[in-house]
Amino acid sequence: MIRYIIRRLLVAVLLLAIISLVTFGIFFLLPKLAGQSTDDLAARYLGREVTPEGLAGVKAKLGLDDSFLVRYWHFIEGIFVGTDYKFGTSVTHCPAPCMGFSYRTNEPVFDLLLDRAPITFSIAIGAAVLWLLAGVTIGVVSALRRGSAFDRGAMSMALAGVSLPMFFTGLVSIFLFCRQFKILPTPRYEAFLGNPATWAQNLILPWVTLAFLYAAMYARLTRAGMLETMGEDYIRTARAKGLPERDVIVRHGLRSALTPIITIFGLDIGLLLGGAVITETTFSFAGLGQLMLQGITRSDLPVALGVTMATGLFVIVANLVVDILYAVADPRVRLA
Amino acid sequence: MTAPIEVSGSETEAQPDAVLAGVDRKAIQGRSLGQIAWLRLKRDKVAIGGGIVVMLLILMAVVGPFLVGDPNQPHNDLIDPMLSRPKTGIMHSGISSHHWLGVDLPAGRDMLSRIVNGAKYSLIISFLATILAVVLGVFFGVVAGYFGGWVDTLIARTMDIFLAFPLLLFAIALVGVFPDSAFGLSGNGLRVAFLIFVIGFFSWPYIGRIIRGQTLSLREREFVDAARSMGARAPYILFRELLPNLWAPILVYATLMIPTNIIFEASLSFLGVGIKAPTPSWGGMLNEAKEVYEVAPHFMFFPGMAIFITVLAFNLFGDGLRDALDPRSSR
Amino acid sequence: MKRSAFRGSAALAAVGVTAALALSACGGGDENGGGDGAFDQASNAIVNASDKKGGTLNLLRTGDFDSTDPGNMYYATAWNFSRLYARPLLTFKSVAGQGNLDIVPDLATGLGQASPDQKTWTYKLRTGVKFADGTPVTAKDVKYAVARSNYSPEVMEKGPVYFRQYLENPNGYKGPYKDPNLDNFKGVTTPDDQTVVFHLAKPFAEFDYLATIPQTAPVPKAADTGDKGGVNYAKSVVSTGPYKIDKYEPGKSISLSKNPNWDTSDPNRKQLVDKIEVQLGVAADEVDNRQMDGSAHIDVQGNGVNAAARSKILSDPELKKNADNPKSGFLWYTAISRQVAPFDNVECRKAVQYAVDKTAYQAAYGGTTGGDIASTVMPPSLKAYQKFNLYETPGDKGDVAKAKEHLKACGKPDGFSTSISYRTERPKEKAAAESVKASLEKVGIKVDIKNYPEDGYTGGVVGDPKFVKKNNLGLMVYGWAADFPSGFGFLQQITDPGALKGTGSSNISHIDLPEIAKMFQDVPAIKDEAGRNKVYQEIDKKVMEDASIIPMLYAKNLYYRNPKVSNVFINYGYSGMYDYANLGLK
Repeated sequence: MIRYIIRRLLVAVLLLAIISLVTFGIFFLLPKLAGQSTDDLAARYLGREVTPEGLAGVKAKLGLDDSFLVRYWHFIEGIFVGTDYKFGTSVTHCPAPCMGFSYRTNEPVFDLLLDRAPITFSIAIGAAVLWLLAGVTIGVVSALRRGSAFDRGAMSMALAGVSLPMFFTGLVSIFLFCRQFKILPTPRYEAFLGNPATWAQNLILPWVTLAFLYAAMYARLTRAGMLETMGEDYIRTARAKGLPERDVIVRHGLRSALTPIITIFGLDIGLLLGGAVITETTFSFAGLGQLMLQGITRSDLPVALGVTMATGLFVIVANLVVDILYAVADPRVRLA
Repeated sequence: MTAPIEVSGSETEAQPDAVLAGVDRKAIQGRSLGQIAWLRLKRDKVAIGGGIVVMLLILMAVVGPFLVGDPNQPHNDLIDPMLSRPKTGIMHSGISSHHWLGVDLPAGRDMLSRIVNGAKYSLIISFLATILAVVLGVFFGVVAGYFGGWVDTLIARTMDIFLAFPLLLFAIALVGVFPDSAFGLSGNGLRVAFLIFVIGFFSWPYIGRIIRGQTLSLREREFVDAARSMGARAPYILFRELLPNLWAPILVYATLMIPTNIIFEASLSFLGVGIKAPTPSWGGMLNEAKEVYEVAPHFMFFPGMAIFITVLAFNLFGDGLRDALDPRSSR
Repeated sequence: MKRSAFRGSAALAAVGVTAALALSACGGGDENGGGDGAFDQASNAIVNASDKKGGTLNLLRTGDFDSTDPGNMYYATAWNFSRLYARPLLTFKSVAGQGNLDIVPDLATGLGQASPDQKTWTYKLRTGVKFADGTPVTAKDVKYAVARSNYSPEVMEKGPVYFRQYLENPNGYKGPYKDPNLDNFKGVTTPDDQTVVFHLAKPFAEFDYLATIPQTAPVPKAADTGDKGGVNYAKSVVSTGPYKIDKYEPGKSISLSKNPNWDTSDPNRKQLVDKIEVQLGVAADEVDNRQMDGSAHIDVQGNGVNAAARSKILSDPELKKNADNPKSGFLWYTAISRQVAPFDNVECRKAVQYAVDKTAYQAAYGGTTGGDIASTVMPPSLKAYQKFNLYETPGDKGDVAKAKEHLKACGKPDGFSTSISYRTERPKEKAAAESVKASLEKVGIKVDIKNYPEDGYTGGVVGDPKFVKKNNLGLMVYGWAADFPSGFGFLQQITDPGALKGTGSSNISHIDLPEIAKMFQDVPAIKDEAGRNKVYQEIDKKVMEDASIIPMLYAKNLYYRNPKVSNVFINYGYSGMYDYANLGLK
């Protein structure tokens, strides 16, 4: 087991390195591809008078004239040992893990990430819990009452749910619940530590919006999985042994129907974060996704890179957790 | 963004040869696989309904733009200059006999025309992106599955990376920094081409995994062995022996990938990195509506419903197609 | 340019309606904070005048100020806000109505004393003004503030650089971060601790306007070092105003409390509330809703309410009486690049002047409450404004026939293709660009719409002649407000051929007419204001004859004032937004 985890960790580090290289490459190579010189790029950072002096200053500060590898190396170096940034006489030390400073606001990217991450992860984790619970429950009930009104109703809902883009559901739900009927306040993020109750109250709509789509998918998957498992021979055997029906369903049926669900969930974590980005935009939450969009529209490489790294890290860790869960849920899994 | 979860989840279910289970291979000459599937599909009313809607949508996208007028024609006279919302129509939507779905804000452009023209772009992008994804996915899936070894490891790992990461974020990064003109293209032509590339490129692993799995099981079968022992070379086996046996899952998952790609495109446009203004797109309309939907709810409702109906129709049809081609997965 | 991070705008109801409402509102004020106040009242009067003290003022906005560092800011809203904690030499008078366009002494005892050649300007500092830490303010602190803000582009990259432009700099001073010895900075001298003398390289009769820029607010050199200095000074600004910044978390919040060492004889500010909390990065809808539901007081974004709120406010008399619709001093316009063919031909430019439907442009900016239709470069909020219209079209909706005439004269009877640019973050500019496209296509001109990030739009996009040419940006959606409210402040940056430089010029039309250049060279030496204003009007006409700017709207904003806030009035010195330095609570 430990060897397995170590191996997985090594792979994770490798993946992060690949991700950072690719993102770096995108920002580095695409503008060049478009035929923009470093002067053109630097000019975009000077709001007013553009002088050769100013351009040189920006280029030096951002290291625009350095080669790809040098810039990438500085980035990696910052993460592990920190960097010093000189602004005239004043020097700003950026301690490890330093992911640089925003080109635009001069804020340390790491602080920005720490700041924004709770918002995105609050949305993502809450929604994931909700969708798994709702999806699996509905799926199981539907499978057990196959053909019933509940089954048909739930599956029609699920099909509708799969087909609704979440930014539409989000806008409609704000319109209905916050504006027309005023049941809920317009969501705005409140820190969990400040007041968990308002935290949750504000997050209900984003959670439901994001979870709706996936709950629908998972309900369909769970139902299909359960139907298949419940038809297997060993279930018949278990019943023949005289096990109570509840035990048959939970211990034998559900357990093996759940294993593929866990795998799929592992694969969906990336989608979950993508969904969180859309949810943030829909509800105007200043999370990582907004930060990313800002970073992109304002050509703020350190910020965009930081967000990609942070989300990549999250996905990798989450996948690790899922893999371990998987090993627990399905003893047949080979750890090698 | 959503991804075809069913695709990955149904990996174990969709075995094309399951369709043939119990059917003597030599006896099918009279009734092809397609005919059998068609017979089954015809009995599935819901799927046929979905299929009809899909056909109508395609028809609308092809013919519609010629019927509904210019989507960019403003009707400023329909907008209240002080309250800046349509003067007339139910809930200030501007709905009238001339504008069946009302007009948008602030220019007063016909919503119907914008939605119909939006369908054109939405469908073009999602179809072509799907084709790209299928071509890439099938190629890499077959190659990985057939050759195995390090080729398989490399391709399978790559697909895992693709599948595990927040692709929407990558797509945003790519589209966001993409220049205005490149490769001799510019403006919206370039945008559309680029969106097709991004969406297709980020969704090929979904179908790649399935095809790889199918290939893994197919390559152990007698007819492949036979071909190999007769000295057939790899390309021949790949394209003449394996591929014809894979068309059923390809068709099913391509159909199910289209709605996902429609939502992918709409998401990018909604986030402001999709098709450029004033070219109509459903996601872009929702983006514009985001600012004013309280004043003019119809501006949000119609494009949203357009996406919903389209995606639902494709999903229904795709589900039915899968059931028809693979009875074991019937639900 | 005072750039606007523009989010909403709003417009004016007919004067008659306003008056009627004002009358009716006077009749029935209720006790519970619905309160008195009438639509657009704060545009010309002080609403809820009161000296009541105490309470916490809750301000909020979307996004963040470009900086809280008085030396490194350019947005009007930041300049306005900075007066809570920074006293420049001069400022705009704190009175209601257009009277606040008058310049009055702030840190100085009087307006600048100019030498006869208009090249030496002397200011005497008030005695007894202290920093928040109790140390007295001296002339050296003003000199240091000017030096750091204007001569250190590597650190201070956001503010304007008028002082660098006007002051003499014989030995190429490089700013205090590179050259800590202030004696090398010859542009400003300090004969004694109370006297600041500015030495100009060329005459400038309107130098007093420059002395209102927050860059003249004193900065103690000792506080601008180490990790509290440079870019980080924004978080540790040493106050001279009624409040001091206790905590600034960029993008999140600013907390201010009373500055005990504030010089209470300051006539332009009040110290009424105990604390000021600014919530930053609030969603746009949220900003509007929270003002209307009373949970926040004033929006300090300074661009007015959103579309949804505008509609709500204008259709509900109870809300409308707490709203104001002042002119912002902005001109929304579309620039025509004289460099991009076929716009190098004046006839093609005139064709566009006639073709555009300005009412559609107005709709894009929020309708009649978003601005009045414009026909001149200078807006009516300037004293130098003179009304004229060289390109009249019926109902301002465009004139296809006239446009086609000029197209023919231009040699392009069948039209041509060009592009229009707008700023990605600004949905109104997008709608504006779309409206221009729709108008021009009626006369056969094909228009491709392109968008660029707001940051660097002037620097690297429309202000970069190479970029403009390469991308065929014949038309550029733009907006402009004066850095200081004079004809010179408004016109010089956008129309002076002398303002053209390699890149980053706001003269994005690329106006290079020698006659205009000559006028701009001569006007700063004219001593009397009326004489200068005549020249400005002349320039305005010349530019319009040249047809390289299409004035679209004299911008207006629709603001909502929480009825609990006292001393609310519009300050036209800062783009016609509420004066932030006098607010209190009822």
